[in-house]
Amino acid sequence: MITRRIQYEMAGRVVGPMLMSLERWQKSRRRRGGKKKDTPFGPSLESVRRLKELMTVYYFKGRYADGAVPVAWVTSGFPVELLRPLGFYVVYPENHAAICSVQRLVPELSDAAEAEGYSRDLCGYARCDLGSVITKKTPMGRLPKPDMLACCTNICQTVLYWYRSLAAHFQVPLVLIDTPFVFGEAAPHHIQYVKDQLEELMEAAEKIGGKKVATEELEETTRMAVEGTRLWGECLAAGRNEPSPWTAFDGFFHMAPIVTMRGGEECNSYYRGLLDELKDRIQRGIGGIKNEKYRLLWDNLPIWFNVRELSTLFAENHFNFVCSTYTDAWTEAGSRIDPADPIGSAAEAYTYIILNRDLKNRLDLIERLTKEYKVHGAVLHSDRSCKPYSIGQIDLKERLGEGVGIKALVLEADHADPRSYAREPAENRLLAFMESFH
Amino acid sequence: MRKAYIEKQKREHNRKVLAVLPIHYPKEILTALDILAVELWGPPGPPRGDAAGRLQVYICSLVRNATAFLAGDDVGMVDGVLYPHTCDSIQGMSTLLEDFGGWEKPVFRFFHPRGESRKSLRTFLVAELKSLAAQLSDFVGREMDMDALRRAIAMHRRIDEARAGLLGRRSHLEMSDSELYRVLRRGEFLWPEDHLQELREAEGAFRPEVVQKGIPIMISGYVPEPMAIFQVLEEAGAFVAADDYAGVGRRLVPSILEVGEDPFATLAEMSYAAPPCPTQTSTQGRRMEYLSRLFDAHGAVGVIVHELKFCEPELFDYPAIKKTFSEKGAPVLLLEGELELELSGQVVTRIEAFIELLDSGEHGGAS
Repeated sequence: MITRRIQYEMAGRVVGPMLMSLERWQKSRRRRGGKKKDTPFGPSLESVRRLKELMTVYYFKGRYADGAVPVAWVTSGFPVELLRPLGFYVVYPENHAAICSVQRLVPELSDAAEAEGYSRDLCGYARCDLGSVITKKTPMGRLPKPDMLACCTNICQTVLYWYRSLAAHFQVPLVLIDTPFVFGEAAPHHIQYVKDQLEELMEAAEKIGGKKVATEELEETTRMAVEGTRLWGECLAAGRNEPSPWTAFDGFFHMAPIVTMRGGEECNSYYRGLLDELKDRIQRGIGGIKNEKYRLLWDNLPIWFNVRELSTLFAENHFNFVCSTYTDAWTEAGSRIDPADPIGSAAEAYTYIILNRDLKNRLDLIERLTKEYKVHGAVLHSDRSCKPYSIGQIDLKERLGEGVGIKALVLEADHADPRSYAREPAENRLLAFMESFH
Repeated sequence: MRKAYIEKQKREHNRKVLAVLPIHYPKEILTALDILAVELWGPPGPPRGDAAGRLQVYICSLVRNATAFLAGDDVGMVDGVLYPHTCDSIQGMSTLLEDFGGWEKPVFRFFHPRGESRKSLRTFLVAELKSLAAQLSDFVGREMDMDALRRAIAMHRRIDEARAGLLGRRSHLEMSDSELYRVLRRGEFLWPEDHLQELREAEGAFRPEVVQKGIPIMISGYVPEPMAIFQVLEEAGAFVAADDYAGVGRRLVPSILEVGEDPFATLAEMSYAAPPCPTQTSTQGRRMEYLSRLFDAHGAVGVIVHELKFCEPELFDYPAIKKTFSEKGAPVLLLEGELELELSGQVVTRIEAFIELLDSGEHGGAS
């Protein structure tokens, strides 16, 4: 246990950062004398390097986490700040699956899950993650075995079925936070139910973590989580500027710390740096793309395996995605969290997540973003892997056209699995969509 | 037939009619308030209206068909709709029709909690049952009579007992699967007393000796559609000895529970006493143990998993079912469909080949 803890701390504090410095040095040597490629994008954000280092060290440290500290695998909508004071190392299978998708590993990992009987019609993240568990293959070297699975159904019910399979595989406890879907306003007994479950979560987590949480510690991590979501919200709001200093596609990658490290200083420090950089770009008139003529909104998860190609296609045609409903989701919770009442306010905050709310709320959100970000059009990613996010998009498209007055396109794809995406027909549709603005 | 029956219920008994989406809901509360529940398992076949096009093709056919049906012209006799909190798609359909048009009548929702029984879930479930009862009381314009609720619970216990008896002593029942499931599924729309009467009549087909001599199989899945599956099984020489359809066996509370002081608490207890359903349980192991026991108790020799395409709660459990039964040496056949009216020739051939395999192996039945 002690040796493992030393390895874990060394990985996070010494070896990981050292490897990153080495890589930075090697890269700078390679870059010398190299000719810069001409792209339709503005100069790269310096924060990209910091993001890569932060996440690489985080995952590197994770290789040594089991046996050193308690490990929880959690869903992206889980109130993770409540676990922080107990010293949990948390793994986000969704974030891991997104990395696998970017690296085009999903077909191989999904094949392994499908061979066990998982249908290809199931969520691509889940198939990827289960395939990674079955084969033990991961681009991160190794994922630590969980001591606890923590699942919150505020993003979908799929996570419950997925985590139930993980619990059976790892033979570890599954802590479930079941959040009733909100139609209009949540009933008081619905919020009370979530609060009661959060209290049960704390008991279970304390048992696994081997210590009691001090109220002050919980208030502090909650305060940090609120600060983190506020900073993330400010970074996103930078997109309101014309030209936007970055793109929503950039935002998809830069959201990793708010999802995985919420409630910690590393996360907040990262966003302070990113925000400074975005403000500096605004001041200097630097855009995320070189010549921003039209501003778009993205709805639903990104198409992870195709982000580069899609962002290039749009940027080449002077279209910039300046906001998205997806990245905005992590700002919402923070506004409702009260560090003086970590559990009670978390119950409300995590119930009122965009994906746990009705379509009227979604339409209102898109309408608000459209105004705030001065958007001309929207691409609604009809995501085969995410049914709850995709239901209603056909009606949303009509309402955006008639009521909100912006052009919208429903794009059939998948957030993880390239086998469910027909690239050429999709790009033809997108080009026709862009032509309609001229 | 169904339409004529519902019209008669409205005309002769002045009953309100609620369309109810799958799966789990407290029917006892509806009965106590004199509301006729008409369950909407599709309906099967092609969607009956254009509104199915408001949902992507990767949304299950049950939800697409139900959306088309509710937004169509054929629901004049229905006074409202009840959506149990079953899955993301039913949840999404509910907000789609209410927020973006297609359903103007009253909407009720029932959030059954997920996860294993614990204090927070039990407290919530009782509160949710009371909340639904209060909303439905407003709907019918009268207070809930607690004695009526106790009587309704007792009535549904008798129904469950009768249904469980017909399924549980299947080998002594001189009735084809097609006939049995027709009787059982009429409970999806009959007034409880009428359904109980038909169940009692069906009990007349019990014989002291074993009359089902075919190959006993267990079937698990969402809903037995198309019903022709039973005919194919019968012709292939098999019968359903154990049932785990979400719409049939999985909704039966196995033991008779006493109606306690607080009928809402009794309803909550019943919910936890019911067989594990993937839309509710958080433990795969408990469900696999239950299925294994069900399989053994009825002497089944093979398993058919009959699922709706795109149905996530069901499909996520399939690998565990496959593993559980392959460890027992029992063959498993997965069938996926989209609420078609007929079984395709390919599916028929697969069922026939599966039964042949069971018949030729050491598991073979007496046919």
